Amino acid sequence: MSQESRVGPNEIITIGGLSYRYYGSAQLVLKNIDLRVSAGEIIVVAGKSGSGKSTLLRAINGLIPHQHSGDYSGSVIVDGLEVSSTKMSELATKVGYIFQNPENQIFMFSVERDIGFGLENLGVPRREIRERVDWAMETLGIKHLALRAPHELSDGQKQRVAIAGVIAMRPKILILDEPTSLLDPFTAKGLVKVVRDLHDSLGITVLIVEHRLDLVAQIADRIIVIDEGKVIYAGPPREVLYNSETSLYGVTEPTIVRLAKLLPFGKEALPISSDELGRQIRDRIKEKGRVSPA
Amino acid sequence: MDSSNKMSTLERGSSKHPNDETIISFENVDYSHPNGTAALKHVSLSVSRGELVAILGTNGAGKSTLVRHINALLKPTHGRVAVFGTDTKETTSATLSRKVGIVFQNANNQLFSDSVRSEIQFGLKNFGFSQALIDERTRWALDTFGLQQYADRPPMELSGGEKKRLCNALVLAWEPEILILDEPTVGQDSEQKEKLIEMIRTLQNQSRTVIVVTHDVEFIWPLQPRTVLMTAGKIIADGSAAEVFGSVEKMKEASVLLPQLVELFNSMRIAQYPANVFQAADQISQLAIGGT
Amino acid sequence: MQWIASGFLFVRGYSLIHRMDPRIRLFLAATLFIVGLLSQSVVELSVLIALCFVISLVAQIAKRFSKSLVFVGGLSFVVFLISVFLSHQSVTAGIINGLRLFEVIQATSIFFLTTTPDELEQVMRWFRLPIDFIMVFVIAVRFVPVLLMDAIQIMDAQRSRGLEFEKGSLIQRLKNTIPLLVPLIAVAVTRSLDLAEAMDARAYGALRRPSSMYVLAMRASDYASLLCFALGGALGLYIAFFLKLF
Repeated sequence: MSQESRVGPNEIITIGGLSYRYYGSAQLVLKNIDLRVSAGEIIVVAGKSGSGKSTLLRAINGLIPHQHSGDYSGSVIVDGLEVSSTKMSELATKVGYIFQNPENQIFMFSVERDIGFGLENLGVPRREIRERVDWAMETLGIKHLALRAPHELSDGQKQRVAIAGVIAMRPKILILDEPTSLLDPFTAKGLVKVVRDLHDSLGITVLIVEHRLDLVAQIADRIIVIDEGKVIYAGPPREVLYNSETSLYGVTEPTIVRLAKLLPFGKEALPISSDELGRQIRDRIKEKGRVSPA
Repeated sequence: MDSSNKMSTLERGSSKHPNDETIISFENVDYSHPNGTAALKHVSLSVSRGELVAILGTNGAGKSTLVRHINALLKPTHGRVAVFGTDTKETTSATLSRKVGIVFQNANNQLFSDSVRSEIQFGLKNFGFSQALIDERTRWALDTFGLQQYADRPPMELSGGEKKRLCNALVLAWEPEILILDEPTVGQDSEQKEKLIEMIRTLQNQSRTVIVVTHDVEFIWPLQPRTVLMTAGKIIADGSAAEVFGSVEKMKEASVLLPQLVELFNSMRIAQYPANVFQAADQISQLAIGGT
Repeated sequence: MQWIASGFLFVRGYSLIHRMDPRIRLFLAATLFIVGLLSQSVVELSVLIALCFVISLVAQIAKRFSKSLVFVGGLSFVVFLISVFLSHQSVTAGIINGLRLFEVIQATSIFFLTTTPDELEQVMRWFRLPIDFIMVFVIAVRFVPVLLMDAIQIMDAQRSRGLEFEKGSLIQRLKNTIPLLVPLIAVAVTRSLDLAEAMDARAYGALRRPSSMYVLAMRASDYASLLCFALGGALGLYIAFFLKLF
């Protein structure tokens, strides 16, 4: 097993033969998972609730196995560190983790205090905390919220604060576990843009769980579909969306993809946004105009 | 000048048949939270029996505050809300809920019983159903929502999707005349959303009034409901789905994204929106490939 | 959410008192508390109580201060009655006991009404309390309004199922709280598990003594205040012990 999971070049996450069973549970929640992630990738993780996707992500930042008891086998290597034998606090500087509920990941009484929370825990000197917190607020465009209390923030703002708190620790990997599921689509779209900008400016590797593929398909390098603890599909968005029955695994297919599958030219054009499909249709109409008068 | 004179048809609401029976009416309703924050401003709305109404808007637009007025959980600071002709100030939500069922967004905020069966019976008992009727309605709810095998299990042990189904079941068990669904699709996968659509269609066939509070435009668009658009505590548009979603400016003002089909047809400058992908495929095939 | 929290704890003030270093405020309150506790004189206690009122005026908390007046006054009167009629002390001793309780509560509330939870947390850090203890306090305060909001949502949901919380006999009413309490506890547990994970994911517990983004820093005015309060306190104690005022 360990032979297979040798880390390749430019590889930041290497998961080899990972299986996991929560204490007291009869079934394996992860079944012999192999996954390699290159530095700088954006990966969308999809699947039903209970498919094991959250467990997989928790195995990358060390919440599993360190904070949950259960049967763990296989190996997860993150930026050269074997997760099962690395302390949570060290992993926290490699992997930033954003949870679903914005309310439950802000602890302190003001935004800037909260962003500094992780750095304080690591014992970073005060001056550096100040610099990094300012930088993180700047990066996420929330400088004006610095002294607000949590209850004075909207849900979208709370998620940005949470991301800032994680980014301040300068992780190489950012994991977002259904970060938009409690947000309205407009706010969700804004958050996805924030994630993309972070990726573009910091070169950070992103793993994001998101049901609304229409929001994230365009920024993803790969989509991974998980069901019953196994990786069912993994590949570029167009490949996964057009060559598989993702809806069987609880993934809401983007309307545009469902439509394109009904169109005779859709399977060559593979559009994943309404802009793309609109352009393709207009091209067809033009073509038809050239052909039919003859 | 009466400002309503200046309103477009869009803002006044969809035209109705004169003999349609109005069962919900909001007359110039204001609502402020106890600390004085205004949550609804000059809301006027009337809903007829059998209508399917979608209330759209971002988080904090006032959607939840609005629907909580329909079963008297909240009562207007100014103005009047009447449901089945009764002013909500003269009744209680425990009484009115017999006719107005709300399924709330978060299932965990209400499940407390030791079994799925008694969870369903709770409402029926509160509303004074006879034991025979309680048994019958419970059996119906368990059957209809595919919950028989869980009947004796504690609701807390169910999965997220099953809990949501139970919440629908326990409200529909007492057959409210008006059903309000508050963000029914949050955290639901594609299969569960399909089931939800089915349920709404069934209720529509029974001429029941359904109000869906949602920000999930992809979900609601194929149902082509009457659409009420809210932002900052106000209703800024009220009309057919095509009318409201077609008014790009209003949608922008409310920060509500367009359904992908509307976006697509807007980009082709076609205002004849298809309700679903099949209609869309037909229309596009005729345009781009040439119809038969 | 905001409308709930705004009525709760988080009151920012900008008065002279608020701008003091929270440790000085604590010193002021503690001085008033100790002198009050040790004082044996009706006159001195009355002066102290008057002083508390003046401070509350300066701190612009007089309104909230006086809200509790009836309750605290009643409590003090009960203490007076107990002293005189149950413990058979003199009337003067009874008055002193009553006034003392009154003064001590006022002194305490001066500190708590002018100190934000954030400042309180910093004072706790300055006292080098264990970080776990501090975080328990921080999270408790932070989540009071959140759980209150949860409770309102749960009550809404159960009312919408025909439950009337206020109806029936005492036992019935107690029973009626079950549909509120069970989900509330479940929601609170979920929140706490989420919180635990989120804290772990941000290196909580890496060090026994984390660094701090803020440190409390005394300004010249704070030293001046400290000197004044210390002198005032010394005078008060002198009076309490050596001057036999009525």
